[in-house]
Amino acid sequence: MKLHFLPAFALTFLTVLSIPLSAAIEDSVLRVNSTLQSYSPSQPWEKTSPQKLRGLGALLSGNRVLTTAQMVADQIYLELESADSTQSVPAKVIAVDYDANLALLAPIGESGFLSKMVPAEVSPPSKPGDSVDIVQLEDNGSSQTTSGSIRSLELLSTFVSGRYFLCYEVKASMQTEGNSFTLPAYRDGKFCGLLTSYSSKDQICDILSSDIISAFLKDAEDGEYQGFPSMGVGFTTTEDPNFRKWLQIPADQGGLYINRVLPTSSANAAGMTKGDVLLSIGGHPIDRKGYFQHPDYGPLYWTHLVKGSRKVGENVEVEVLREGKIKNLDLLLRKSGERLLASHLYGQAPPFLIKGGLVFQELSLPYLKAFGKDWATRAPMNLLEILSNPEDFEEGRRRVVVLTRVIPTQATIGYERMSNQVVESVNGQPVRGLPELEKALAQTPENGLHKIETDDIPYQIYLDQILTESVDQQFKTSGLPLLSRSYSVE
Amino acid sequence: MRFFLLPALLVILILPSLGQFLDPAAAPAAPVTVYDSVVRIEVSTQTLDYRTPWNSGRFSGGIGTGFLIGQNRFLTNAHVVSDARRVLITKRGSSQKHPARVIHIAHDCDLALLEVEQFAPFSQLPHLEFGGMPKLESEVSAIGYPVGGDRLSVTRGVVSRIDFRPYSHSRADSHLVIQIDAAINPGNSGGPVVQDGKVMGVAFQGLTQADNTGYIIPMPVVSRFLKDVEDGEYDHYVDIGVSTFPLFNPAMRKAYQLEADGKGVLVTRVVPESQCDGVLERGDILLSIDGHGIDSAGNINVSGEFLDMNEVVERKFAGDEVAFTFLRTGKKKDAKVTLKAFEASRIYAMKYGVTPRFSVYSGLVFQPLDFNLFATYKFKNRNLRKLYEEYIAEGVFEKRKDIVVLTRVESDQLTSHMSGFTGMVVEKVNDVEIVSLKQLHDILHQKNAPEFLKIEFDGGSRPLVIPSVDAAKAHPRIMAQVGISREAQLD
Repeated sequence: MKLHFLPAFALTFLTVLSIPLSAAIEDSVLRVNSTLQSYSPSQPWEKTSPQKLRGLGALLSGNRVLTTAQMVADQIYLELESADSTQSVPAKVIAVDYDANLALLAPIGESGFLSKMVPAEVSPPSKPGDSVDIVQLEDNGSSQTTSGSIRSLELLSTFVSGRYFLCYEVKASMQTEGNSFTLPAYRDGKFCGLLTSYSSKDQICDILSSDIISAFLKDAEDGEYQGFPSMGVGFTTTEDPNFRKWLQIPADQGGLYINRVLPTSSANAAGMTKGDVLLSIGGHPIDRKGYFQHPDYGPLYWTHLVKGSRKVGENVEVEVLREGKIKNLDLLLRKSGERLLASHLYGQAPPFLIKGGLVFQELSLPYLKAFGKDWATRAPMNLLEILSNPEDFEEGRRRVVVLTRVIPTQATIGYERMSNQVVESVNGQPVRGLPELEKALAQTPENGLHKIETDDIPYQIYLDQILTESVDQQFKTSGLPLLSRSYSVE
Repeated sequence: MRFFLLPALLVILILPSLGQFLDPAAAPAAPVTVYDSVVRIEVSTQTLDYRTPWNSGRFSGGIGTGFLIGQNRFLTNAHVVSDARRVLITKRGSSQKHPARVIHIAHDCDLALLEVEQFAPFSQLPHLEFGGMPKLESEVSAIGYPVGGDRLSVTRGVVSRIDFRPYSHSRADSHLVIQIDAAINPGNSGGPVVQDGKVMGVAFQGLTQADNTGYIIPMPVVSRFLKDVEDGEYDHYVDIGVSTFPLFNPAMRKAYQLEADGKGVLVTRVVPESQCDGVLERGDILLSIDGHGIDSAGNINVSGEFLDMNEVVERKFAGDEVAFTFLRTGKKKDAKVTLKAFEASRIYAMKYGVTPRFSVYSGLVFQPLDFNLFATYKFKNRNLRKLYEEYIAEGVFEKRKDIVVLTRVESDQLTSHMSGFTGMVVEKVNDVEIVSLKQLHDILHQKNAPEFLKIEFDGGSRPLVIPSVDAAKAHPRIMAQVGISREAQLD
């Protein structure tokens, strides 16, 4: 269980009670068992060792089970199990949002023991001070409930780093039972959130809020899950009084300095530019640190005004300060566009191509993170540069293709030391992504030599086409199960 | 008292061994005079601190070895006398300390020449004679004053390898070294290594993670240094500024229309403004250097010796010529290049005895990036690391003489929200691109400053801005508060 560290301050009151379960709550809690297996970052044709995860979920109407995305990321087998572990049914994922850390499951085929359970209703939004009941299951199937009170609401990143969503911070003194991972929480008998982490030292739980859960469920209703909207800007705070003076921000205003507007974003479409100061969204003023005052929840980080409280396709009024003058912009909210570097690869098999021993992959954040704890300094400089300044690489690219390593073969003599070079073009054609690379290498090159141009010494290398094909044949007969995994592009 | 020892991978040391001299069948009386010419060097140093470049730095000292090679000429390691404030030489069997000074110091090959103020006490001592390269497996002796006692020490070892290896003193240079299987210890540094009564090299470094491994600067490097300083000045090593890639791959050879004869190496990068810039270019195939055929890995064969082609250049001096033959788009060409030292590349070399440059304005401390600064601050900023890495290779130096870094923000009410900018590279000040510390200093101190001083950083999330009037007012106040004695050191 992940520990979440919080600043300590005095609590005015706290309830820590163990109470017997009300029948309604008990009847909607079940177990979720998953087997996860991800691909190896450096050898993407292989999977790493499988890992088993046991957690809980809540049965909702329509035979749907809600749990965290963490439970199903890279899953190869899922099952729902009764509280007493006597019955189980296989399950599938109906909708998943890795950023928000939510997943909706359904049984495959017969609903089995689910039909004897009572689905929970989703609770309306909760406020600070409200009491919630967190449910755990013991081995024998009996349930244990811990009550706590919502101390505050905050935006937390509970799974994918850098993705913040509204959560309850609940003070509760809990005994962690075995197999407790993802715990449903209830308020007044209604399902109100999923616990993602608990710090036994501080006795604080992070619980994904029903606001986010309701939005997720509503989005998933039609079977086509869209996701949460995003404004698509980079920003920094305006606490420095010298900086405020320069930006001509009046003393009674807050504001965030916009330092980047993504080309495919809602903000760009509405005419927001670098250098604007974001003053308010939907009539909510944003302070100099980036917080706004929520009428019920207190101060919240501004991204909640977009991600947590609005849908894709909705319009929102945004107020910016540009060269000292206030401008109103009308934003049509979109889902965040595809980034040059994927921030995670959950639920997808990473594309790759092996050609004659050269291994090509698309650059992603998980690939960089595979360089270890100090990846941010240890990963190759040319690749980190792309993470720092993606705008310098976006032109002519959908994804960055990297020659990640060279397997010694007859065709790669002399290239063995090359690794992590960015591929610029193949046989004269620019490489926009892996499918384009694959296509370029499928053609018969001039004079029988494939020409591959990269960003580092020796800048261009050649592969003998006939030799490459025979090497690839040898690979197929000698243990490499797959020489390429690609995807189609329009 | 500290004994000289290199902290990185390699440890500097001197190793003495007199096996050959003491061979009873040969001349049993001879060695005494050789020992007498090996002197103990006591050094007091002052090392400036790059964190507070306006301060006087750290005072320290150490012991090394040197030996007499001519009329008032003592040879030792550069690292023994680097940052020296006072150098004293002591004769064997005497306690008198003779003041000495450094005449020439070559940090790139870790050698230095000293002289004493009064040579008379040394005038009767023999000048040690130089030999050539010792053979593999032959025995040598290192003589010096290592830790463990005050008197002369002699260690015997066998030559186990002759190789091109990094010299850890400058952190940026590699030359020929002789490896011996004897422990060379701190204090041995700068001492002679002898065989049959002749000097085979100078003991200089060891390995921290291996016992009984010592490294010696061999005669070709020593002779080159002595020849270089003959004109009264040390001119540094020269470099052709060319990167190559081996042409082993048959497809690669076919693409360049080369036969499968194992000859020729591919030019992949020519450093801008280097001697070969405009002569060689990416994609050329180098065939020979000074008439020596280059193989597909970039090696040559000189009278039976198998060497890297760069070793031809290694033995040359500034002003010498080097001749190439190469293929460009299938056509054979010849070129001659006059060599000179490449100053910009010293950004990667540890500097000694140089006052660090800096400029302070309104609590903001600016310093030009070099090895010493990097080693001091261990910068994490990716834009900075990239500029540092590409300074030479991508020709950053052509535009930016200095990569100016905001290294510190001193505390004051004016600067209280600015500490997040430390460790970043200054890109522009008041919309002017910054290319040197001096230029930045002048802009910061200019009269008729605009209303706001605006500093933009490479990859910064926002500009740093200060109303110019406030900055001017805060400047003397912060200098006094923090105790900064000087506002700049510009050269």
